[in-house]
Amino acid sequence: MIEANKVSLRYADNTLALNEVDVKINPGELVFITGPSGSGKTSLLKLLMGMEYPTAGTLKVLGQPMKKGRSGKISRIRRKIGPVFQEFKLIEGRTALENVYIGMRFLGMSPRKMKEYATTALDRVGLAHKKLSPVEKLSWGEAQRVAIARAVARKPHLILADEPTGNLDHDNAVKILELLKSFRSDQTAVIITTHATHLIEDEKDATFLYVNKGSVSIERRGKE
Amino acid sequence: MRSFFYNLGYFVKETFRMLRMNLLSNLFSLVGTGLILFLFGLVITGGTIGNRIVMLLSEEAQISAYFTDLTDMEKAEDLVSRIKELEGVRDAFYINATQAYGRMEKVLGEEAGILELFENNPFEAFIEIRIHMEAMDTVIEKVNALEGIDYVRDNIEVLEQMRGITQGLKILGYFIFLAVSITTLIILSHLIRQGIYHNREQIHTMKLLGAPNAFIGFPFVTVGLLLTLTGGLIASGLLVFFIDGAYGEMNGLLPFLPLPSKNELTSGIILWIPTVSAFLGISGSLFGLSSVKKVSG
Ligand SMILES: Nc1ncnc2c1ncn2[C@@H]1O[C@H](COP(=O)(O)OP(=O)(O)OP(=O)(O)O)[C@@H](O)[C@H]1O
Ligand SMILES: [Mg+2]
Repeated sequence: MIEANKVSLRYADNTLALNEVDVKINPGELVFITGPSGSGKTSLLKLLMGMEYPTAGTLKVLGQPMKKGRSGKISRIRRKIGPVFQEFKLIEGRTALENVYIGMRFLGMSPRKMKEYATTALDRVGLAHKKLSPVEKLSWGEAQRVAIARAVARKPHLILADEPTGNLDHDNAVKILELLKSFRSDQTAVIITTHATHLIEDEKDATFLYVNKGSVSIERRGKE
Repeated sequence: MRSFFYNLGYFVKETFRMLRMNLLSNLFSLVGTGLILFLFGLVITGGTIGNRIVMLLSEEAQISAYFTDLTDMEKAEDLVSRIKELEGVRDAFYINATQAYGRMEKVLGEEAGILELFENNPFEAFIEIRIHMEAMDTVIEKVNALEGIDYVRDNIEVLEQMRGITQGLKILGYFIFLAVSITTLIILSHLIRQGIYHNREQIHTMKLLGAPNAFIGFPFVTVGLLLTLTGGLIASGLLVFFIDGAYGEMNGLLPFLPLPSKNELTSGIILWIPTVSAFLGISGSLFGLSSVKKVSG
């Protein structure tokens, strides 16, 4: 579902964020992206979402080449992705539920289905009781879980979470990782970037992308 | 398309949210467009009235023939029947001096008092000839040639003048229409841009979630449409009120003016002003919408 061939990303200021990355990710994989700060983890996620485009090499996401100037096609791919941004990007002034809806409204879902999926998702992240609270009134951890609910409620093929453990203590970081992993399925791959290597080093069935100064090495563990 | 119907409620809510968000500038735009459209309506109304008067005047074209010898009543009757025979003449009447006086009294209305300054009736008898407009020149020629007719007076000058004024109004109308369109389009697209700017984070997020531009932009178009359409309705209301008042005044003042019926005018206004404003609203919004594409995503 993801195929990167010698993908490089050089920002306008000439920073080489990714250097000739070769990666293939299959449907339903659990992927951890780790590496030092500034190594290029977020840049990699940005490429997957079409927020940046490879400056060299070819990248295919969900069968579509990620190239500049095909914004309609990029939108269509984004609709199949559930992103959990590092800073959440929730829409203020709206309730938790409305924020979850905002990711589903243009998918052609009937209102009934939308309601069902959104409620289930909020339930799964443990926020059913807060669904009518405006998001700016939620705690940091609650807001994060709304962001996760928004990402998963639309039943994406790919969940991307950027640094979800960043601001959390050990116990909560474990909980969030477990929560995100629980959405993995045959159809849904989960990709998580994290600094918290100690929390994932015992993973038996996952793929690890080690990013260092823009170069990526890959390690696959468990059932292939 | 399905998404559109499923989200009607959402679009309505978003529209009102955006209207509330910039309430003051939205209100000013509403009043602004309303007033501009009102001006536009005034010019249209003036043009319609002018057109109508020219039409009626040309339909009712009439000339007056004056006698060489005023005393010979029999000869006058004979002249009338001969004129009636002429080609291009619809009808002819003998109007005696008293009738002529009476008519002018009516035309002058309240000002008729000045007629009393004359010791004798200053008006002479004449023949009123209703003719077909196209035949005016030949009829005038033929009537002039008749023995016993001194001279012929026609209202062709008045007609030409009216035509000139109407033409002028028409051109003024085009200019005002242009001004209205440009101003409304600019007000609107500016308003929409402002709205997009205020909502840029939300738009950015929606784009990252894969929302199509049309979905993101739709509430902005409805805001623009709602504002101009309401402006158009306000303008129509003002115009109808204005026309009503003006007709009340004019009927007393200028009873002989062949004005179009009030209903005809007002129904034209009620049909056209909102249509034009809806059209401008949609185009202005689409114009402003181009900046949705510029929000990064
Ligand atoms: N928009 C940008 N323009 C220029 N340089 C950028 C841009 N975004 C990131 N970079 C640079 O690219 C490199 C990789 O950044 P990136 O955000 O991908 O790192 P990261 O691995 O996510 O770091 P962190 O763990 O701190 O989140 C860094 O040197 C960063 O400064
Ligand atoms: Mg990062």
